[in-house]
Amino acid sequence: MNTILNINRLGLLLKRYFVENKKRELTFWGIATVIFMLMHLTGSTEKSASVEIFLYISGLIFAARTFKIFGYTPGGMHFLLIPATHFEKLVSGIILNTFYYFGMILITYAIGTVFGTVAGNIFFETSNPIQFAFFHFDPSVNITGHAGENLFSKFIAFALIQSVFMVGSLHFKRNAAGQTFLALSVFFIILVSIELLLLKATFGTYHLNGQMINLSISGDDLLFKSKLVGSIIKYSLIPFFWIVAYFRLIEKQV
Amino acid sequence: MVNVQNVTFSYTRQTELLSNLSLKLEAGRIHGLLGKNGEGKSTLLKLISGLDFPKSGSIDTLGFNPVKRNPIMLQEIFFLPEELPQLTLSIENYEKVYAPFYPSFSTEQFNAYLKEFDIDNKKSMLNKLSHGQKKKVFIAFGLATNTKLLLMDEPTNGLDIPSKGQFRRMVASAIDENRCLIISTHQVHDLDSLIDSITVMEKHEIVFNQPIEEITKKLLFRVADRDDKNESVIYGEDTLRGLYQVCENKTGEESKLDIELLFNAILSEKNRIVNLFK
Repeated sequence: MNTILNINRLGLLLKRYFVENKKRELTFWGIATVIFMLMHLTGSTEKSASVEIFLYISGLIFAARTFKIFGYTPGGMHFLLIPATHFEKLVSGIILNTFYYFGMILITYAIGTVFGTVAGNIFFETSNPIQFAFFHFDPSVNITGHAGENLFSKFIAFALIQSVFMVGSLHFKRNAAGQTFLALSVFFIILVSIELLLLKATFGTYHLNGQMINLSISGDDLLFKSKLVGSIIKYSLIPFFWIVAYFRLIEKQV
Repeated sequence: MVNVQNVTFSYTRQTELLSNLSLKLEAGRIHGLLGKNGEGKSTLLKLISGLDFPKSGSIDTLGFNPVKRNPIMLQEIFFLPEELPQLTLSIENYEKVYAPFYPSFSTEQFNAYLKEFDIDNKKSMLNKLSHGQKKKVFIAFGLATNTKLLLMDEPTNGLDIPSKGQFRRMVASAIDENRCLIISTHQVHDLDSLIDSITVMEKHEIVFNQPIEEITKKLLFRVADRDDKNESVIYGEDTLRGLYQVCENKTGEESKLDIELLFNAILSEKNRIVNLFK
């Protein structure tokens, strides 16, 4: 028997989630569709930012609930004793809070946009075209032709947020979303403080503007390398947080 | 089946809940784990199942290190906790979702146990059932999993009087030579005729671990007259029905084990009783 990843057990874990949360899932995605419909009643343009905000905020709340069961000791005991590996339990969580959630947002967004725009055209006697601004598929909306890349970038940003809040759901027993947000805020405050201290030490001021810096970058090579390092960090942060979550799950005691 | 060696465990750095605890539990038996509140009975069950990790020492559960929570081990363990999880599932869906994780699960047995507990409607939601009803569902499910190791923490808490008898009958019929059941309980009278090995915890240690046949071979449980001055008496309790005594069984006389009396005797005369079994 495979003691790392067994597809059958993974399937059972996912089935477990859907059977236990059937009502909540149907209600939530129903509400999401209605929200997207209402958003698009007056046309589809410039709604992409609102959809993104909805995706990230609702997504992080969902991710922060991934291992909410540990907030209640008998629930945590029940979960840990399910005959599946920690890896399978983690993968089922990642599938749900990252891939499934993103996919469902896209589906409900598409349905909401179509129905919302059509309904808006009927009620307000307008003739707005159906445009999926969030996808950037329509060449008239996005002439740069980078539609796929744009959606992919959104997915990467989403996956990163989800991975952080999933770790939060394992770390914090109560109100994981709020506590993770606080922890992140503290982290960024420290980061900004260090940055300000470095600025003070290097340039002698906290207030920096363009005119004061004279950075000399020799050639495109350095710029390319720094971009590459940035990309590596961006993409590696997601698996990094997944690995952190895995180790948190392994060492979990109830 | 379960081998605990020199295990130490604590929730905080200051207080040790279990210290240097060793215990060996065999298959084919129903082990009664007795002890006062806070002695670490539930913690011991959690350690055996891998829910908590020992600070030192080792545990072998079904040939596995429980800390790893290997799925092969987990599919052979069913733990019935004292406090049950809140699940928004019907009994039917609970079975549908969780039974496939246990390869030896028997739907026929599950239905039969539910019927014996007078639970007819499998469409009932678990979160709408009373604590006792819910416990019956989990007991029925646990027995139907046919796992090698069953851990039950206060299984009769919340059960009504007829259900306690049903529970005893079910457990007695479900246990065979390959299965091991560990019951942690305060309700010793509920399990009087069921348990066939007794483990007593006191001051975070195992002070007594003996099979019933060995206990009744070495100890005599009797009701005596108040003026009976027998030097073999280890412990006695004066009740309205007479003087209940635990004596050394020097004559090989057979008697019915009184678990509560034995437990009180162990707490009161630990050294004398422990020495008898050395």
